[in-house]
Amino acid sequence: MKTNETRNAAWKGIALRGWQALRQPLVATIFGLLVGAAVILACGHNPIEVYKEMFEKSFFKPYYLFSTLTRATPIIICAMAVGMSWRAGYINLGVEGQMVTGTLVATVVALFMPGPPILVAIIAWLAGMAAGALYALLPSVLTWKFNVSMVITTLMLNYVANYIASYFVTYPLKDTSGDGLALQTPEIAAEMRLPRLSSTSTFNAGFIVAILVVVFMVFITRKTVFGYESKMGGFNPSFARYGGTKQVRVMLITMALAGAIASMAGSAEVFGLKYRYADGMLSSTSYAWTGLQAALIADLDPVGMFFISIFLSGLQIGGSAIQRSLGIPLEIATIIQCCITLFVSVKLVIRFVKKPKPAASAKGGAQA
Amino acid sequence: MNSAYIASVINSTLRSTTPILLAALGCAICSRVGVFNVALEAQMLIACFTSIAVNYFTSSVLLSVLAGVLSGALVGAVVAILQVKYKAADMVVGTALNLLVGAITTFLLYLIFGLRGKLVDNRLVSLSKINLPVIKDIPFLGRVLENLTIIDYLSYIIAIVLFVYLFKTVAGFRTLSVGINKPAAESLGTKATRIQMEMVTLSGALCGLGGVVLSMGQVTMFTENMTSGRGFIAMAAASLGMSHPLLVIASSLFFGLCQGIGLALQNVVKAQLTNTLPYIATIVALVLFSKRNSSAKLKK
Repeated sequence: MKTNETRNAAWKGIALRGWQALRQPLVATIFGLLVGAAVILACGHNPIEVYKEMFEKSFFKPYYLFSTLTRATPIIICAMAVGMSWRAGYINLGVEGQMVTGTLVATVVALFMPGPPILVAIIAWLAGMAAGALYALLPSVLTWKFNVSMVITTLMLNYVANYIASYFVTYPLKDTSGDGLALQTPEIAAEMRLPRLSSTSTFNAGFIVAILVVVFMVFITRKTVFGYESKMGGFNPSFARYGGTKQVRVMLITMALAGAIASMAGSAEVFGLKYRYADGMLSSTSYAWTGLQAALIADLDPVGMFFISIFLSGLQIGGSAIQRSLGIPLEIATIIQCCITLFVSVKLVIRFVKKPKPAASAKGGAQA
Repeated sequence: MNSAYIASVINSTLRSTTPILLAALGCAICSRVGVFNVALEAQMLIACFTSIAVNYFTSSVLLSVLAGVLSGALVGAVVAILQVKYKAADMVVGTALNLLVGAITTFLLYLIFGLRGKLVDNRLVSLSKINLPVIKDIPFLGRVLENLTIIDYLSYIIAIVLFVYLFKTVAGFRTLSVGINKPAAESLGTKATRIQMEMVTLSGALCGLGGVVLSMGQVTMFTENMTSGRGFIAMAAASLGMSHPLLVIASSLFFGLCQGIGLALQNVVKAQLTNTLPYIATIVALVLFSKRNSSAKLKK
């Protein structure tokens, strides 16, 4: 009897904690969708019908669900890279640059290294990870040695990486076999590609890589001393130093890991979907920034980031579907996800739920 | 390297400086009142779009400038409400707003004009270029100051006015006191939160003016994400100038020079490589001045 009561209490505790963890993102999502509804209404469409079509063509039909998961793959991995650095207190806005650098290096290795394809593919992924890690270490070393703002340096390095990658695919690495108009590298060998997981769509084994990265993140953050140390560094730097954490070492490892993870997002895209590096393929799709938002909405919790990345990816797939059918620009998806992030950032939404005064919640909606 | 070439580089330096200077001043007044404003980019980009959109429909330069400044101030007000009033995390608000404005401008560009990428049109009127009567005939100086807009000159005046306001007036001292110690300032009856919100909104207006120069100054067009990191370069400029309006002029001129040189080198080196110059220069400058700058660090 008593054990039953304690078990019930435990279940209640878990349910309560789950609800507390989910409450804020859920409420924020509802508000974000309401803002989106207002925008759709202003465009002269019926929000309920538009949302119905958006979600049908992102989650509820198999073909679109596979597209959503395919698009989610790099977003999930980018979210993990963001989470890795931000939870340690390092505001890394350079995931995009790290991804681009790593991916370009991986593609070059895959294209030019001789040897058995499987081996070359593995080396290509590792080389990409090393390049991404080095590219993330650059701003970290500058922060360590010169106390330079990481926010600015990591962001500046995005532009540098994008322009340099653009240079390479425009000139030395350009595929001249076709009409020569597209700025892209030649295709990588068929044996190196990740296998497709569905016969009807482009859904591929990159998604499994993403799941492995999530598992790795959960393991690192919950089960290792390093995960604890890096989190304490972000949580309370002076306490971490007092506890004997070597902060510089933790910072460098954290950022290197973030850069290595970021590069995998782009490698998954090249080896699983596009089979080549094309100019702007990682920046125009804003994978890194969607991943950043997923990380912020999930409050840097790896499992939360995984599901929210898929949700945001679905919004984007649904957004491009309604752009085709109704002419509403697909940026509606980005607008909704930015509003969700803003509502998560402002803890006020929670107060409205606790004290449901209609006047107050209307005010909250207007402030969006 | 003849003098005409140097004059033209200085000329393009001055033109590239203006948006950075205005945004850097906006960033500086935010740091002076203790608010870390990451949404400079958003404040600029929204003004680029609204000024061009109003320009397209009214063909009035004055109205477009006003619309640009107001839209920037509006985004500034959102930052003020979220960060100052509701104490939301600065990085989260900043990055979300930067992305949100990027999406909104692209969204409206498609919805209103049916265009993707950019908006160029014959109907668009650019800011009138000023050629000062006597100076334009002086050989070197004439070329240096050729075809600058009124906002190019205005930006330096704004910097001086801000300096006088912050360091020479009582209201300015109150403003500075908020950034130094908010509770202490409040205990003396200063409306600290109000001042913070006003300053953040003002930073939005300044960035807005910077955005207007960007879209209606050297070129008259709107391109998606045309601010391309200038908000963050301005942040670096404000940090190097230790948030002091007059020093910010100097640091902004440095970043303007980097863009000017980048443009000048485009004839020699491939554009993709020269385009990286302002960004690399920003990092190098931050590193070089890091010791002097250690007190006013932006690191979170």
